[in-house]
Amino acid sequence: MSKRVGIVGAGVTPFKGRWIEKTYYELAQMATREAVKDAEVDIGDIDAAFYGIYNDIFERTAIPEHAIHGLCGMQNKFGIRITTGGATGAYTMSAAHAYIAAGRFKTALVLGVEKATDCFDFLSMSATPEVIKSIGWSGDSFFEQPIGWSASDSYAEVVLAYMDEYPDDLKPEITAQISALLSQQVKTNSYAQRQHDQVTPEEVMNSRLVVYPFKELEICVYTEGASALILAEEETARAMAKNSGKPVVWITGVGEANEHSFAGKNQKNMSRIMSDYFASRRAYEMAGIKNPTGAIQIVELHDAFVHQLEISMAEFGLVPLGSADSLIEENLMTPGGKYIVNPCGGLIYCGHAVGASNIMSAWSARNELIERKLKTALVHGTGSTIAQFTACMILEHE
Amino acid sequence: MPQKETRVIPSDYIPQIESYSEKIDGKDYLITNDAMYTFYRRTRGEFSPFFLALRDEKILLGCRCSQCGIVRVPPFLTHCPDCNFAPTELIEIEQVGVMNSTPPITYFATSLFQHMAPYGRGRVIFGGADTAMSVLLYTTTGILVPGIIRRGTEVKLVFKDDRVGAVTDVFCVPTSELAQEQIEKKGLQESEIDWESPVEPVLPDTTDKDRVLYREALHEMKSVIEEMNRNERARKDIAGWKRHILVKTKGGQFSILIDDGNIGVEEVEVASPDFVIVSEDPRTLLDGLSYRGAITDSVISKKLWISKNMEFSTIFKLDRMARSVARSKKG
Repeated sequence: MSKRVGIVGAGVTPFKGRWIEKTYYELAQMATREAVKDAEVDIGDIDAAFYGIYNDIFERTAIPEHAIHGLCGMQNKFGIRITTGGATGAYTMSAAHAYIAAGRFKTALVLGVEKATDCFDFLSMSATPEVIKSIGWSGDSFFEQPIGWSASDSYAEVVLAYMDEYPDDLKPEITAQISALLSQQVKTNSYAQRQHDQVTPEEVMNSRLVVYPFKELEICVYTEGASALILAEEETARAMAKNSGKPVVWITGVGEANEHSFAGKNQKNMSRIMSDYFASRRAYEMAGIKNPTGAIQIVELHDAFVHQLEISMAEFGLVPLGSADSLIEENLMTPGGKYIVNPCGGLIYCGHAVGASNIMSAWSARNELIERKLKTALVHGTGSTIAQFTACMILEHE
Repeated sequence: MPQKETRVIPSDYIPQIESYSEKIDGKDYLITNDAMYTFYRRTRGEFSPFFLALRDEKILLGCRCSQCGIVRVPPFLTHCPDCNFAPTELIEIEQVGVMNSTPPITYFATSLFQHMAPYGRGRVIFGGADTAMSVLLYTTTGILVPGIIRRGTEVKLVFKDDRVGAVTDVFCVPTSELAQEQIEKKGLQESEIDWESPVEPVLPDTTDKDRVLYREALHEMKSVIEEMNRNERARKDIAGWKRHILVKTKGGQFSILIDDGNIGVEEVEVASPDFVIVSEDPRTLLDGLSYRGAITDSVISKKLWISKNMEFSTIFKLDRMARSVARSKKG
C-alpha cells in the first residue's frame, strides 16, 4: 500500500533575467531556506533531496548537484538529480513522490535551480542566442542539431502540425489575448521576472516573429532562479502542518509519458501532444478523477509557448481538440471563468528557470489552492524535442 | 572529396580572456569570459553507411524491418523495436517526398545558426519511406516566408556540391520551383539550380510629395532615436554593438549609426555601410522604431529590404530597443 504524500512547505527565489549577484549555489540555498522556513522545519528533519537541474551547460559543470547537496545541509543523505528537458521540475516532483509513497523516506526536499544567462554570444553581444544554442545541444546530434534544431522550432513543428489539422483554431488574435491575460495575472506575483510587463493583445500581435508561427510576446523567457518544496508522507505531513499551521496540499495523482522523438508511421503524431494526453490521464486515474472538466479548478501549465498552452489544455481534456480557442471565446480562462490558468503568470511572464519552473508552478498552485480555498489543481511540465516528455501532478487541498 | 580547412569552432565565436566588474546596490561583482569546450573524434557508427552514401554516392538510404516492413528514414536503428527487435536492412529511398506537416521558419536563430537565418526545417516523407526525415528547406526565390512550403508540399532532395558526410550535405526545395528533368534526376546538386540572388530594389523616381513625407518621417525618427538614446534599457540592447546602416527611401537617404550603446541618425551617406536598408516608404521603418509593428516582420513581408540576411541580428536589436522604450514608458 503506497503512502499518501503531501506538500508541507514551499519557497522560491525571485525569478530574474540575470542574477549577477548570485551563483546557482546561493540560489539553490535561498530557495531551500525559504521552503524549510515555510514548513517550519529544520533541514536536519529532511531525509532526502531530489534536484531538478536541466542543463549542465547552463551551470557550466557536469554533476551540478554535487556542490549544492552539502550547501543545502543534505550531506550524508540520499541525493539524486533528475533531468528531463523542460519537464525536469515536474519529473523531479514525480520522483520524490514515488520514493516517499514507497516508504523509502518520510520527508524530502525537492529543489529546482537554473542559471541560464551566464551563457553569452560574443558575436551578437547578447545572451539569448547562446542560451538557445545551449538548449540546442539537446536535439538529436546526428540528424537534427546540425541543421538548426532549437526548442522553439521543434515546438513550432508540433503547433503547425496541429494547425494543419485544425486550421480554425489557435487564431492569432486569441493567442494574443491569452498572452495579454497572463501579463495581467502576473501583476500579483512579486517573484516574477516580468511582474510589471503588462502588454495588450495589439502589442502581442505586433511583436516580431521569432520562429514562425511564434511571436516574441508569445514565448517564455529565460530565467535564473530556484524553487523548492518540502514533501512528507501523511503522518509526518500532518504533524508538520499542525506545527506550522499551514494546511497540507496532497499530491493525489501523478502521471508521466514520453513519446517517440521521430515522426511518421508508428512514431510521433506531430499534430498531437500525446505525452500530455497520457500523463494527464494517468494522473487523473491515480487521483480518481473521472471528469476532469468538473474537477480541475486551477491549472499551472508549462506554457513554453501560448499556442502549446492551448493544445495542452485540449490534451488534458479540459477543452475539445480543435476548439482550444474556446478558452477565450467561451471565457473558460478569463477572469471569473471555469479554469484559473497560470495565475502566477506562467513561464511566459513569471519566467522559465528550466529545472525550477514546474516546481515554481507547484508552489503557485499550492498557494492558490490555500488562498482561494479551492480543492483541485493540475500542475504540468513539458519538455524535450517536439513536446516529447510530460509529467503531470494533481494537487488537492482538503 | 575535398575537406574544407575550417576549425570546428570558428575563431569569430571565441572571446578574449577578459574580466570586468559590475556594480549592483553599491557592491562589485566579478564577471569573467569563459568557455566549456570538448573536442571529439566522433564515430558515426551504424549510421556510417547512410552518411557515406550521401557524401560519396548522392543516394538516400533508409532501413526496412524484415518483419513488419516499415521503412525508416534516416535509418536510425538496426533492429525494429516494434517487432521484438527483428533486424532491419538498408534500402535506397527516392529523392522526392512530401512535407509531413507545415514547417517552422526560424528568424531568430541560436548563435550557431545566425548566419543561416531565416531558415526552414521540416520533416519530409520521401517516396518509399514511412517515417519523416528532418531537412533544411529552401526556396529558390529568395527569403523563405510562410506559405511557400506547407503540409503535403512536394519537395526534392538536393545535394550540396561540397559534401562532408553529414546531414547538412542535403536540403530540400519545392519541386514546383524545378524543371521536370531536375525533379527526376537522382543526386541533383545545388549548382544545377538557378538561385534567385538578392538584388537591391530599384526605387521609383522621387516626387515632391515623397520629399515632404521623407522630411516628416526623418524628423520623427530623429526624435524616436533620441528617446532610445536616453533610455537605459534600450542602450543596453546595443551594448557592445557597432553598425553603420545606410537607409534608402523614396524621398531620400540617411544613415543610422550604432556604437556600443549609442544610436544616432544622420543625413549623410556613410561610406562602406555594414548593410543597406531599402524602405520605399520611410514610415515603414519609422513604425518599427516607434513600436508600431516589428521591423523584422516588415523584412519578412518584403516591405523593407536588407542587403544581408546576417543583419537580422541588428534588426532584432532595433525591434528590441523599440520595445524597451515602450516598456519604460509604462513604468
